[in-house]
Amino acid sequence: MKQTQGRLVTAVSALALSAALGAEAWAQTYDEAPQLAERVAAGELPPVEERLPAEPEVVTPIESIGTYGGQLRYGLRGSSDHNNILRMVGPQGLVRWNMDYTEVIPNVAHEFEVNEDATEFTFHLRPGMKWSDGEPFTADDVLFNMLDLVFNDEFAPTPPRYMTDGTPATVEKLDDHTIKFTFTAPYGDFLAELASPLGQHPVLYARHYCSQFMPAYNDQIDELIAANNASDWQNLYLAKCGDIEIPARWGNAERPTLDPWIISEPYTGGAVRVVMERNPYFWQVDTEGNQLPYIDTLLSPIAQDVESLILDAMGGRIDFQIRHLDAAANRPVLAENREAGGYEFVEASSVGGVNMIINLNLTHKDPELRELFNTRDFRVALSLGMDRQSIIDTALLGDGEPWQQGPFEEHPNFHEQISTQYLDYDPDEANRLLDELGFAPGADGVRQLPSGRPIKFQVDVIPTLQPEQVDMLELIEQYWAEIGVDMDVNALERTFFYERTSNSNDHDAAVWGGQASWVPGEIPQQIVPVHHDSRWGIPWSFWYNSGGERGEEPPASVKQRMELYDQARATVDPEARRALIHQIADIAAEEFEVMGVSKAVPTYGIVKTNLMNVPPAMPSSWYYPTPAPTLLTTWYWAE
Amino acid sequence: MLLTYIVKRIIWTIPFLFAVSLVSFALIQAPPGDYLTTFAATLAQSGDMVDEQRLEALRTRYGLDQPFIVQYWKWISGVLQGDFGISFEWQQPVSHLIWERMALSVCLALSTLLFTWAIAFPIGIYSAVRKYSIGDYIVTTIGFLGLALPNFLLALVLMYVGVVYFGANVGGLFSQEYQMAPWSWAKVVDLLEHIWIPVVILGTSSSAALIRIMRANLLDELNKPYVTTARAKGLSEFKLLIKYPVRLALNPFVSTIGWAFPQLISGAVITAFVLSLPTAGPLLLQALLAQDMYLAGAFILLLCTLTVVGMLVSDILLALLDPRIRYQ
Repeated sequence: MKQTQGRLVTAVSALALSAALGAEAWAQTYDEAPQLAERVAAGELPPVEERLPAEPEVVTPIESIGTYGGQLRYGLRGSSDHNNILRMVGPQGLVRWNMDYTEVIPNVAHEFEVNEDATEFTFHLRPGMKWSDGEPFTADDVLFNMLDLVFNDEFAPTPPRYMTDGTPATVEKLDDHTIKFTFTAPYGDFLAELASPLGQHPVLYARHYCSQFMPAYNDQIDELIAANNASDWQNLYLAKCGDIEIPARWGNAERPTLDPWIISEPYTGGAVRVVMERNPYFWQVDTEGNQLPYIDTLLSPIAQDVESLILDAMGGRIDFQIRHLDAAANRPVLAENREAGGYEFVEASSVGGVNMIINLNLTHKDPELRELFNTRDFRVALSLGMDRQSIIDTALLGDGEPWQQGPFEEHPNFHEQISTQYLDYDPDEANRLLDELGFAPGADGVRQLPSGRPIKFQVDVIPTLQPEQVDMLELIEQYWAEIGVDMDVNALERTFFYERTSNSNDHDAAVWGGQASWVPGEIPQQIVPVHHDSRWGIPWSFWYNSGGERGEEPPASVKQRMELYDQARATVDPEARRALIHQIADIAAEEFEVMGVSKAVPTYGIVKTNLMNVPPAMPSSWYYPTPAPTLLTTWYWAE
Repeated sequence: MLLTYIVKRIIWTIPFLFAVSLVSFALIQAPPGDYLTTFAATLAQSGDMVDEQRLEALRTRYGLDQPFIVQYWKWISGVLQGDFGISFEWQQPVSHLIWERMALSVCLALSTLLFTWAIAFPIGIYSAVRKYSIGDYIVTTIGFLGLALPNFLLALVLMYVGVVYFGANVGGLFSQEYQMAPWSWAKVVDLLEHIWIPVVILGTSSSAALIRIMRANLLDELNKPYVTTARAKGLSEFKLLIKYPVRLALNPFVSTIGWAFPQLISGAVITAFVLSLPTAGPLLLQALLAQDMYLAGAFILLLCTLTVVGMLVSDILLALLDPRIRYQ
């Protein structure tokens, strides 16, 4: 693991170096895949120098310069798995995360500038860059995306990431290759928001193609709607051009993109496989001037269930896969078949935090339980009343380390108090605290509230999400019974769970994954309730997200954290931002609202042994999103 | 007589299908949440996050915030005009998605039905005529195994054996090169090369059941006096068997058309899911799991129509085959 990190860091510094040397690469001629060279010779494509932008991104592969050819197979599921494609192809936004997930670097834009108070963001596009059909990509495309779609309420409400204080950004075209976003207030997190998979909107749609599906650009739109059996232009538009997170994004082979591979067999209802072929106009080259990607084809057979995906992996019919395969339960069978399948493990490193975080509902509808859960000493007693190490040994097979929440020691955002307080197993102290609160045990050993009501509540959990959560909760149930607290594990179907907890706030308590490193772009929902996964204060998150119109006004300590969170999002300087996040963490640590059990441990996917330039470990996060920033364009097959 | 019966039956199917559509739409809506909550929950399961504002906007666009009866009316009035609506998940008209899959499903179901009959008919006769012989015991044992093994388990075991011992993939209905190819003779041959695996898997349990039924029915007939009489009059054993007792024992075979069709299509869902077959089953299951109402609704409505038609056909055939059956 240590070695791995060293290698990752070298790779990234090499990347930075290559960016500096980019100008040098400009002068040289470029090489291309043999199949593209054939098409050039046949007169079907312009030569590679004309297809690439004047300054393509020069990428240094982490191991070696590759060779062209081959296909990369990964398994898709038949439904709701479109984001798997997104993670493989990568969200090709203006900027992206570097390989280490520590810094936002240019992507589609070849450089960017931010003014001092983080209200103006200027992006320089690459002159000569083209869409996958050969049409030029310019600032007009960005304007089209922002003005005609993102800010067009008829299409969809404007995502908050393009607004400050409820006012949308102003987007201007300075010249054909320069675009400026101006916000009414400082917005330091904007770059991180753009680097997240949800931040691709500014460069998602090709104006010359997608505008034909909008009434503003097409007089005959009604005929087009009728011809396509669509219900209205929005439906037609989504069917043809997709959106970031809907399957239709991968459903139309004609839609021009900026992606390294483009759809040739689409992902539609009932498809048996999805095929993507290289984009002849892709805008990255390696340090020797070979146009990327190396690999010709992404081929994903569609398996309806995970079991047959595992069979595919064992049979060597999958080349790379983390998603769906990385459940701990699959590890033995995958390990056993390593040789037969010709693969090895690839580590999906946890970014920080815990696999299971317990959220007591501090905004419970029942006043008595609400008062109980809001009693800090009660929560402390619960935390001291469970033997984390033995839970880890039993339910997690020893894989883990007692932890409350938040980033790990080696992360710059590490906050000691919030992650390590009240971790010791001390049932005597827990009993003392509960005695002091006046909760005397009844005849059955269950402590009672002053009203005589026994202390009894349910913890909601989705058993299919992470099966070990149920095992952990069942052990916790036993430990808490010993200190006179009657907890029941309430396993729920996932949609019902969502409905009951995040929508209607009907739960006593719930558990959820608590991976967190509090970097920009990630929502720190366990230290400030601003998200529907903050199941300890759902009405407070409604209040925050609706600007005070819905939900319930939170207490002063929560309000203060919400203000600090807004400030942190506005701050561009990483140190100043960290200080603000730590202020939030200080308050959250003092309040001690949520508790965890064990550090989130890495999970393992598989990668073929002769697939090169794949880092042996990569951060596992949706915001990153794994594995895209490890640059699949540089992966290649060893001879 | 028969004609009035048929007409009456057809008229009755209209209110029946209407009731079915109402019930199935209600059932699809019954689980808590809607397509979008399921969508968000599924994505969360893979560690992805969803933009909440986009979800709300989509909910309004899809009309999911409207009362049940409004949604139902929107759907059923479209269906009456041949418009099955739009699949939320795929942003495509439902009719685009289901036809090819339904065709493959029907093809698979028909092949399985033929296979079942081809196996069950001779074996059933044999095991009745040679009661308690070694052959009968062997066939009976295999039959019980076939009845006891769930189809999907058999499929999983076959797939595991295929992967581990032969390095072959037994899933799917086509080889890779034909998956997306337009229909041609070569593709049909390729289909035939692949379809026998699901046909055998799906056919085992129903064959086993039919063998047992055939055997029992035939045994009843074989001891009847008319058989003895015919034999005494010197009719050849084969002609005697086929012409009289077998004809009577055939009734359950014909009745199977009615239930075998929908059962083969919906009952094959899990098997098709495991084998990743491009038939209607997996898409129906996904649509139900995702609460993609219009897609699921269209499938269920089609399945019900098939059931009704199948029942009608089998009733008419029975009447033609067995003059003892009379109509009210």
